[in-house]
Amino acid sequence: MKKFSICFISFFFLFFMSMVNFMMMIYFIMNNMVIFLEWEVITLNSVSVVMSILLDWMSLLFMMFVLLISSVVIYYSKSYMSSELNLNRFIILVLLFVFSMILLIISPNIVSILLGWDGLGLVSYCLVIYYQNFKSYNAGMLTALSNRVGDVFILMVISWMLNYGSWNYIFYLMFMKNDYEMYMISSLIIIAAMTKSAQIPFSSWLPAAMAAPTPVSALVHSSTLVTAGVYLLIRFNLLLIDMLFLKILLLLSGLTMFMAGISANYEFDLKKIIALSTLSQLGLMMSILSMGMPDLAFFHLLTHAMFKALLFMCAGVIIHMMNDTQDIRLMGGISNYIPMTSLCMNISNLALCGIPFLAGFYSKDLILEMVSLSNLNLLIYYIYYLSTGLTMFYTIRLIMYLMVNDYNLMSIYNLYDEDYTMLKSMMVLLFMSVISGSMLSWMIFLNPYMIYLPLNMKMMVVYVSLLGGFIGYFVSNMMIYSMNKFLMTYNISSFLCLMWFMPSLSTYGLNYYFLKLGQNLLKYIDLGWSELYSGQGMYYILKNYSIFYNFYQVNNFKIYLFSFVMWMMILYYFMLMKF
Amino acid sequence: MMKFMFMIIFMIPLCFKKNMFWLVQNLMMLMMFMFMNLNISIYYNTNLSYMFSCDIMSFGLILLSIWICMLMLMASENLLKMGFYVNFFLLNMLFMLLMLYLTFSMMNLFMFYLFFEGSLIPTLLLIVGWGYQPERIQAGMYLLFYTLFASLPLLMGIFYIFNKSNNIMFYFLKFMSFDFYLLYFSMILAFLVKMPMYFVHLWLPKAHVEAPVSGSMILAGIMLKLGGYGLLRILILLEKLSLKLNFIWIIISLVGGFYISLKCFCQVDMKSLIAYSSVCHMGVVIGGIMTLNYWGFMGSYLLMIGHGLCSSGMFCLANINFERLNSRSLYINKGMMNFMPSMSLWWFLLMSSNMAAPPSLNLMGEISLINSLMSWSWLSMIMLMLISFFSAGYSLYLYSYTQHGKYYSGLYSFYTGVSREYLLLMLHWLPLNLMILKVDWVMIWF
Repeated sequence: MKKFSICFISFFFLFFMSMVNFMMMIYFIMNNMVIFLEWEVITLNSVSVVMSILLDWMSLLFMMFVLLISSVVIYYSKSYMSSELNLNRFIILVLLFVFSMILLIISPNIVSILLGWDGLGLVSYCLVIYYQNFKSYNAGMLTALSNRVGDVFILMVISWMLNYGSWNYIFYLMFMKNDYEMYMISSLIIIAAMTKSAQIPFSSWLPAAMAAPTPVSALVHSSTLVTAGVYLLIRFNLLLIDMLFLKILLLLSGLTMFMAGISANYEFDLKKIIALSTLSQLGLMMSILSMGMPDLAFFHLLTHAMFKALLFMCAGVIIHMMNDTQDIRLMGGISNYIPMTSLCMNISNLALCGIPFLAGFYSKDLILEMVSLSNLNLLIYYIYYLSTGLTMFYTIRLIMYLMVNDYNLMSIYNLYDEDYTMLKSMMVLLFMSVISGSMLSWMIFLNPYMIYLPLNMKMMVVYVSLLGGFIGYFVSNMMIYSMNKFLMTYNISSFLCLMWFMPSLSTYGLNYYFLKLGQNLLKYIDLGWSELYSGQGMYYILKNYSIFYNFYQVNNFKIYLFSFVMWMMILYYFMLMKF
Repeated sequence: MMKFMFMIIFMIPLCFKKNMFWLVQNLMMLMMFMFMNLNISIYYNTNLSYMFSCDIMSFGLILLSIWICMLMLMASENLLKMGFYVNFFLLNMLFMLLMLYLTFSMMNLFMFYLFFEGSLIPTLLLIVGWGYQPERIQAGMYLLFYTLFASLPLLMGIFYIFNKSNNIMFYFLKFMSFDFYLLYFSMILAFLVKMPMYFVHLWLPKAHVEAPVSGSMILAGIMLKLGGYGLLRILILLEKLSLKLNFIWIIISLVGGFYISLKCFCQVDMKSLIAYSSVCHMGVVIGGIMTLNYWGFMGSYLLMIGHGLCSSGMFCLANINFERLNSRSLYINKGMMNFMPSMSLWWFLLMSSNMAAPPSLNLMGEISLINSLMSWSWLSMIMLMLISFFSAGYSLYLYSYTQHGKYYSGLYSFYTGVSREYLLLMLHWLPLNLMILKVDWVMIWF
């Protein structure tokens, strides 16, 4: 009975579905087939709200990757979360997440995409606040609210698309391209995608979301949720070409890539380093997307999903063994103790750097060569190559800290490499992060890219990678007294290592004003003027008048008598006047 | 139609016997299913008898009121356990159901008004009779006088219409048109106070805070919808002035909705927070109605149904916590996930429906209201975005504050959820989320 735990059943089911999707994808791509299903919810004024499903090779391939990663992640969490009391809740949440991701992938309709889009936000919120501590509380709130911005923009897109009488956006991408409303729609869509994919004004949530359990980070915050924005823009790409906003997106995503690369070098938290590298790769995808090459972005999205999930899973194993310590300064020399995990870690790290013939090489090298080939300004070009160097920089630094130096945590320790549940699930992804690049490049690029570069430009990737790698090596060997030299550049260092102050700005920088406004409104309007001019004010006025009249009525008998006489005299006077 | 009225009336003798609580509840449910089988035409009023009739809108709202009244009985089992004037409570509940049923099924504007006001009495009795703190007297006064203050002009308006045209049947209102400012304001304001619009909403949080769970459920579930129902019926009469003047209410409601959602972040009382969130949602509904377009009318009706189920469920949850901790304060209602993990699921589901997550009716309603408001003026985009964002914010605030983290350490004893409560919440949530599959049933009403 123990064998058929919820983890195993979900693993089996998801893996099976993934393989089915794979077969279907091959069939679809061979026959150039698309299936489009529509189910009408309601028609109002001849506008149909429909739930639609689009199955083409792109959605099937993405689904295959999502299902594969989620299946192994669930299998992995059987061991990783084995001491968790509410394992069922955890697995059900992950399954719900996969479900909403699939709904997002298959729907080409802006109303029905909301089903997946909102679902991702809510379920990922539940997963981030899974642990019951303050850090996860704050991180969850930041994640959910940043993602909610995207939901709101999608809602606004829905209302703008009412102009066209249908929400199946794929029909309007070419046809309505020069329409004014379409400019509005595409800018809103870009902002929505930027929130989900954590581009620059909204990037603070991605490193914060590392408060989630590590399997969640492997599935949600590296390979699937964060790529939802990229995927949406890939679907919308026909619309976006030649737009001004896309140029802005290019700059912002390039800066995201650069910023994340630099911050990762200052970071000492193992999961945060990987999260920042995810952010950097997301910037790469977004930027190549905004240069008008959606297929390259999709390619990198898929290969990146594989090796990044693997990287997170290795990090999870290491964190488990280090008594839940995540600080890389306390790790070191683990390749002597856990060779298999170190192997996976290194392969995924190198695939991230784009070392030839691993998964990352095919996509990243192609992207960078296409960047060199296209007509760009120097700033963007520098940002691309500096970020590539920075990737190598933080990767080598991480490898040095983890694998080479001495073990620093405690004098008594127990590292073991025999957790086969975790290792087996990592093997699947290890295999995929070696082969997926070549496999995909043969499968989805029917006509090859023609690249024509001078030698130095061609070798530029190698130059910056080697340079970054050397710097990373030297930085990891830095002594404490040279670390202290950073104090000389305290301002710029804190600017760079705190992600350009984005986490502070998007939390303390914003919420104070809104909370203060809310408090003032409550104090001055609800408990102030509104009460004064309705309930309480009316009460006081009536009360005072009744006291006032009461004052005249509670008197001596003599005064009544006197006033009676007075009134009689006045009446008599008037009577005399009349006659 | 009349048979249902008599069914309610003949249920009244049951209140005077002992141990009839669950029988009455079951009979209400039976009545709900009987009513569901009524023949309804989309285009016309059907089931005419005397002053009664039923079209899709009144059909949906009657269903909702029977449903909510039934759930109110389920929610207030505590009264039964303590023997706290159960018979009077049942009588009150049946009286309220009768009033609501008559309000929604009347064809005649005056009779509608009569029962619209009549439904205040059982609500007032609920609040001052079964409420918790001494402040409930003031809350009851607020409820009564806010509504009465604005609805006496409505009575005069109805007399004026009858005097001018000798007709106050709803169906014939569409053939008349009045261009008279005073009439416009007197007809509209009563419903706006009932909705409630921002600035005249003060009675609602007070009443909710002081009311027992059944009072809160009926207030959020049905009472607010009376205003929307009245507006949807009456605005066809006032088309000309509506085109000129409706922007006032739209602006007040949208800006007010944003302000209210900010105020929600300052609430520490769960019920008060949920009450403020109702005001925020009703602001969007007022906006949608006042745009006078088709999407707005449909969407406001749909959001009223959705919000009736959703906020009533939220009040149930607040009460479930209150029964265990004897406090509604967020400082004490913390970390409930440790005690009631299954209840936490329901918190999450209802909270997410409250912030209009798919596939709830609220989302569909909000989409159509956003459509209507955006086609009215695209500048309303700013306020709609803020409202939508912050309503997610306060829903998450409520959820995470009550469910996440450590529990209150002064807690002495505790018991987990009972199956009645789970059933109660499921009966709120299921129609809210499953009716999206047949949403035209609760959306297209003319």
